[in-house]
Amino acid sequence: MKKDVHFNKFISGKKSIMVFLLAMFTCLASFAQTRQITGKVTAADDGLGMAGVSVRVKGTQTGVITDVNGAFKLSAATGATLQFSYIGYLTQEVAVGTGSNYDVKLSPDAKTLVEVNVVAVGYGTQKRTDLTGSISSISAATIAKTPVTSVDQALQGRAAGVQVTNNDGAPGGNISVLIRGVGSLASGGNTPLYIVDGYPIAAGINNINPSDIASIDVLKDASATAIYGIRAANGVVIVTTKRGKKDGVTLEVNAYNAFQSKPKEYKVLNAQQWGTLANQVAAADPQHNFSELANWLDPATLTNADWQNALYRTGLTQNYSIAIRGGNDKLQSASSVGYYDQRGIVLDSYFKRLSAGFNLDYQPVKWLKSASSVKYTYQNQNNPFGTGSLVQATELIPTLDGGNKNTSQIKDAAGNYGFYNPINTYTAKYSNPVYSIESNQYQNISQYFSTNTSLEASIFDGLKIKTNAGINLSTYNGSYFQPEDDRLVNQYGSSAGAVANAFYNQHLQNTFDWLWENTLTYDKTFGKHAINFVGGVSEQDNTFAFMGGSGIPPNGVIRDLSQVTNLKLDTYNYGNGGGPGNGQQIYTLASQFARISYKYDDRYLFTATVRRDGSSKFDVGHQYGVFPTGAVAWKAKQESFLKNVDWLSDLKFRGSYGKVGNQGAIGLYGYQSLYSTVGNLPGGQDNAGYPFGKTSSNGGTYQGGIVSIQPPNPNLRWETDYTTDIGMDASFLHGDLNLTVDWYNRKSQDFLLTLAASPQTSYTQLTSNVGSMDNKGLEVAINYNHSINKDMRFGLALTMATVNNKLTSITSGTTSVNNFGGLTVAGIGWQTFTETHVGQPVGEFYGYKSLGIIQTQAQINALNASAAAKNPANPFYQQSATGPGDRLFADVNGDGQVTPSDQVSLGSPQPKFYGGFNADFSYKAWDFNAYFYGVYGNKILDYQESTLESFQNRSFVGVENVSYDYYVNRWTPSNPSNTYSRATYNDDAVGSNVPSSAWIKNGSFLKLKNFTVGYTIPAELSRKLGISKLRIYGSTQNLFTITKYPGLDPEIGIQGNNATQSGVDNGTYPSSKFYTIGLNVTF
Amino acid sequence: MKMNKKNITLIALFAALLVPLSCKKNFLTTTNTFQSTPDATFTHSQDVVAMVNGIYDAYQSSDLLKKSIWYYSNFMTHDFFNYGADIVWNNYQLNSLFAQLPVFWLNSYIAVGRANAALVIIADAKAKGVVTAALADRLTGEAYFMRGLTYYYLAGSFGGVPLVLKTGSNGLEPRSSQDDVFKQVVADMKQAETLLVSKTALPATEIGRATKGAAFAYEGAAQMWLKNYTGALAAFNNTELTSNYHLLPNFMDVHEFDHQNSDESIFEIQFDINGSQSWDGGWQDGGEIAWIDDFSWPEEVSGFGYDYANPGLWYSYQAGDLRKQATILGPGDANLSPGIIAKGANGVGGGIKGYPNVVGGYANYLKNPSGDITDRDRYTDGNGNIINTNGTIAHPWFGVSDQKRSGYMAAKKWRDPTLTGATGNPTNIFGSQNQILMRYAEVLLDRAECKIRTGDVAGGLADIALVRNRAWGGTAPAVVQDGLNFDGTPSTPITDPLQIVYSEYRHELTAEYSVMYDLRRAGPGIAAAFIHQCYGTDATTDPQPYPYGPTADGKLHGVWRTALPANRDLLPIPQSAIGLNPNLVQNPGYGN
Repeated sequence: MKKDVHFNKFISGKKSIMVFLLAMFTCLASFAQTRQITGKVTAADDGLGMAGVSVRVKGTQTGVITDVNGAFKLSAATGATLQFSYIGYLTQEVAVGTGSNYDVKLSPDAKTLVEVNVVAVGYGTQKRTDLTGSISSISAATIAKTPVTSVDQALQGRAAGVQVTNNDGAPGGNISVLIRGVGSLASGGNTPLYIVDGYPIAAGINNINPSDIASIDVLKDASATAIYGIRAANGVVIVTTKRGKKDGVTLEVNAYNAFQSKPKEYKVLNAQQWGTLANQVAAADPQHNFSELANWLDPATLTNADWQNALYRTGLTQNYSIAIRGGNDKLQSASSVGYYDQRGIVLDSYFKRLSAGFNLDYQPVKWLKSASSVKYTYQNQNNPFGTGSLVQATELIPTLDGGNKNTSQIKDAAGNYGFYNPINTYTAKYSNPVYSIESNQYQNISQYFSTNTSLEASIFDGLKIKTNAGINLSTYNGSYFQPEDDRLVNQYGSSAGAVANAFYNQHLQNTFDWLWENTLTYDKTFGKHAINFVGGVSEQDNTFAFMGGSGIPPNGVIRDLSQVTNLKLDTYNYGNGGGPGNGQQIYTLASQFARISYKYDDRYLFTATVRRDGSSKFDVGHQYGVFPTGAVAWKAKQESFLKNVDWLSDLKFRGSYGKVGNQGAIGLYGYQSLYSTVGNLPGGQDNAGYPFGKTSSNGGTYQGGIVSIQPPNPNLRWETDYTTDIGMDASFLHGDLNLTVDWYNRKSQDFLLTLAASPQTSYTQLTSNVGSMDNKGLEVAINYNHSINKDMRFGLALTMATVNNKLTSITSGTTSVNNFGGLTVAGIGWQTFTETHVGQPVGEFYGYKSLGIIQTQAQINALNASAAAKNPANPFYQQSATGPGDRLFADVNGDGQVTPSDQVSLGSPQPKFYGGFNADFSYKAWDFNAYFYGVYGNKILDYQESTLESFQNRSFVGVENVSYDYYVNRWTPSNPSNTYSRATYNDDAVGSNVPSSAWIKNGSFLKLKNFTVGYTIPAELSRKLGISKLRIYGSTQNLFTITKYPGLDPEIGIQGNNATQSGVDNGTYPSSKFYTIGLNVTF
Repeated sequence: MKMNKKNITLIALFAALLVPLSCKKNFLTTTNTFQSTPDATFTHSQDVVAMVNGIYDAYQSSDLLKKSIWYYSNFMTHDFFNYGADIVWNNYQLNSLFAQLPVFWLNSYIAVGRANAALVIIADAKAKGVVTAALADRLTGEAYFMRGLTYYYLAGSFGGVPLVLKTGSNGLEPRSSQDDVFKQVVADMKQAETLLVSKTALPATEIGRATKGAAFAYEGAAQMWLKNYTGALAAFNNTELTSNYHLLPNFMDVHEFDHQNSDESIFEIQFDINGSQSWDGGWQDGGEIAWIDDFSWPEEVSGFGYDYANPGLWYSYQAGDLRKQATILGPGDANLSPGIIAKGANGVGGGIKGYPNVVGGYANYLKNPSGDITDRDRYTDGNGNIINTNGTIAHPWFGVSDQKRSGYMAAKKWRDPTLTGATGNPTNIFGSQNQILMRYAEVLLDRAECKIRTGDVAGGLADIALVRNRAWGGTAPAVVQDGLNFDGTPSTPITDPLQIVYSEYRHELTAEYSVMYDLRRAGPGIAAAFIHQCYGTDATTDPQPYPYGPTADGKLHGVWRTALPANRDLLPIPQSAIGLNPNLVQNPGYGN
């Protein structure tokens, strides 16, 4: 961050004029006693001269800035104190004695690298030492250590109590952020509120270039978040972007290239093994044999189709950013441009982002200043195979023989794609995904533009008013085109089905959001009393419009999107869960808020916050909610009995209690009684009308229908969280060791849920306030930073949090709720795989207790006989077809047979604790960083494994590939496995492959997320190159994972942003190792 | 003084900024631009009519009609079997997780909810003068009828179910007894009888709506469930039925595509060509088309063949019974549907030989007559001519993907000439043929059962004779006797009057939406005994080789002979419904 020569000359020229002027005044006051002092400031870590260091005579206005070599010159009197300060270095004071030359070495301030001293608290900032609430902060320096794609990635493991999970490894992929556990069962109900440069944004924050971020502050307890009222219950993430500094100019260039290895693959059967297995299954089970393709009868002749190999590839990520930041006393600006381009490891997946930002601060007169931010981002993203469908890559039959008569390869040299036999029922439903991906055209382009400007005026000392207005505009343009496919029909005639018509759709979305906030702040110290007050009003209005259409092109042979000339507008799509077809909707918020902080004698701190929020999501009369909180803190270190305790550098205790709201899970107009001409039958979209008047000679005439799609619910209200937080901040060893501990208890009441409704209500789902939930936990953050000598420093940071989650009540009349929605790829018996009971954690896995494998016919006969004795109507212990080699389940309720009521809780996907460990070490020009992330005590439902042990496709008629382990170890009469069931084309009937304890695995893991080695080239060399700092680094991500989990990656998030579906491994986009080479240059 | 000026300016500015934000009262009231609120709806009479149309709409679901009511009516009797994922119907191992049951349950309660809501809206609209009193009465009658109809099939399939009779249900009602539900059906139908219009008064544009006659037919059927045979007879003898509905002279016509809403039909679910043929179109729930009919066609023709008939049903038809080839096609049988011969497939005409697969398969055979054994056996008559029958005696159509179908298909479901199955270009899978739930022949057979049970055996047999005479196109033989037993052994005459009724239910109504309901209604154990009589059922739960006829090649062709276990004549309450309403108690026979 030391300045470049040329810029510095430019700046220092002006500065010297100012210094001269200042000196003039100083001279007038004390001319006789001063004399010229010279000296040079060098850095203790590298011994080089430091440019831009502020040198001031303490207690006066006199000051200069060091020149490019670190030299300075100023006037000072004997006995005065010189103060040397530079960001990132410890401020040093030197008494002026009789000498006239003072050389000073500044030591880096280890703390600034790990701890942000000023914290954004919402509508203002506070010194960390004065906080009463629980806030975790992440600095730019921390973010810079790891090449991250997005803000939420940067949060992972860095902030205690913030659980960040990569739901999948897709480029630009989705990440779930949970602050202090699950407070809501609703889809999207646990997303924190993001504030970017003062602007609360509804959507995610993937569009922000991480290298623009100056700091991230995570507001966790009610006291901290309450200033955001009705949106605060899931925590608040405040992102502040870098702004220009008053003194000098920085030009920063960052670049990296990362190679991403192909992911680990499941070991599945090759064509020969597959053919052998198919023959064995057919031979072993004549009762239900399936019609093998003739080609499979001779496995040796088969061409292998290695789907994982065809679908996975090496990824490449390029990231470049350039920023220039700087300014003078009146005007500071920061401009940046970033480009990110990730080629994903799954065929044709990519994420591209082009972002530009401009921040401007202007203070024309002392009492008036303005701050503006403008940001623009273009994003282009594609993941055609889709996350969750990767399970297919392991399921697909590993040979295409018997399909395309021109090639048995996935894709041959002539560009022909293989396909499966379209006549055989057991293969007909499969298609070649490589063909689909490479033939279809996809477009997913998003653009984000946001700007806000504030104007702040000081009325008199301590009192400021501020108005802040902004707009946030985002657009999405997506299209999809699938060309006609007539290959099957050409080769097999009409018995292969019909020609697949070309299909296309296009969707445009547009969000216009405006915000206007006016605040008044008063900051004053009267003797031992210090008061800080902020109060204000806010109004936000969000208009979301979208249109889309789709259709089959009139000309069946169309092969290109460019030939599509018209779209048929989408029909209303409410019942499909897809929201309305075309149109716009408006949502508004109007709020008043205030926060007062009082500090007595720098020892006792009180904060009270209240926000009154009005939201258009609720009915008149229920629109406004008031969210008060209070907090106290005691800076024990300031007490006389601790002041001189040397080993304790700092000690503070905090406590807070308050109420915040959450309306995130609820859509618009949830309170209204609604009717529609399309209904809400299961399966989705349907017209509500009916044809009448049909006779033998005439068709009927459709008459429209109107049905109720939502009953009135005027009492619908936001969720309310009552959060208690007790915390302690302590610092030891002269500030080298810092410890923050928080215990919290978050009680979420009236949580909102769109719940599958009892059919007797005549609605498929209803949204209401249905229950309450508790989250308790302990969060610990420990930092240790130490400089062993001037060449060697190290830092260790550990964050850890426990979550104890429990559903405490449901008011809908039931005692449990099951998973909402299903797996992307399910199967018979897989509709329900989690169930949340009162008194239990959210989203517990639910299914049968597996007792191993049935070994003999005698064993199953005995079980059936005792079942028949208890219940003659159903003389089977399990299924009628269950036999030796099938999985045996426990009859938990002792009624003699296994029925759905024998399903039990199989464990929780929620970890007992999770956290991150970060280690930094630097030696001379070298720096090292290792960062681990881990969770402990959670379970994973390994759906992927269950498909790998299933010869029959569970979703439709067909057979599928299995794992090699299963193939080798499966139960056969001569291999009496008690782990793997027999291979059969009858899974549905024997029921081995349903949710059961067989698929529940230990999900604990510790992952080395990042390991970086950096080298900063010697200053002499960089100076020759005309730059002030050049660092080259290499890093690797996801290098290893310590886990007992047998699947590919135990880092498994929440499906569909829905807490009732977390921890299910169903073949999401895999993560793999990244190898990055990067460059940081500062001019 | 400069500062003062500044302050005044700023304070004024700030005050001005604060005021508009705090004072805009309507800022939080946004208008719903997507959905209709009650105030914006029901201002015109057609809106109120539309509310009632929505009740009928709940029945336009293949999962409800085909995979729930039709399966129950026909798979439970073993007359038909399922191919594919739903084979648990074939050996009565259906459980509460079966995927279509929740649709049955949910769509039914959606229909009930729509009826309950309509009753409120109609009354309100009538009070406000939005609808005339006469229209209000008809609409109210339709709402009662549809609610009663829904409870009829719910109770028939599940036994007692929760009765929801008002809007605003919390969804937690426990099950009522089966009798109480049928009492409610009777009550609703009685209301409907007074409010609905007569068939003769129904405008042509409104055909398909419930009529007084339909209400009497279902009232009678519900009274039979309550064993009130006298009450049932009163309903069946009402002139709304006896004067307004007639047997069609030709049994084949009953299910013909060009005889929809015929004079014999009392209530049928209406469909219409109004929807895309794509799988994601609105075929499944409430769309105007449905995947019901070609679902049953031979895989050799349609690519489907997901249900197929029991060969024993084919043998059971008495000699001369014209219903046989209108009901079931065996190997070598032509499809005699006039519509299919004239127009199927999709206008090509000529019967089975017109279907794209048959045409294509035959063309393949011609390319290589000596080598292509598969196409020769499948698509020629054995003499080098294109096949025009449902397979041949030498090579029955057991299916393309495997040989797991019986070779026998439902002819009643092969009448829509607009369909091609999953073949041809374009394909036409989703059809518009109405589904008849109640027709006059069933009323006559029901009435016969009532008469016999109340001592009027002669009267009962006379009603049966009406149905049988039509089946023989004139005069039926006096002796009622199956053609052959299922295993090809000679049959014996049926002499017990009630057994005659049951046999006629089967031969008249199989492959429709009735037989198992009629058998279960007759009393405990009757269905199991009847099925045993028809098919010699035993304790086996796996498919068995067929013992007789061209399909008796010793191989398995998807025919089960599992005996109907006690308590399995009822469907299980869907597990999902129990999960959402813990007050529901599962039927015995399905565990706890």
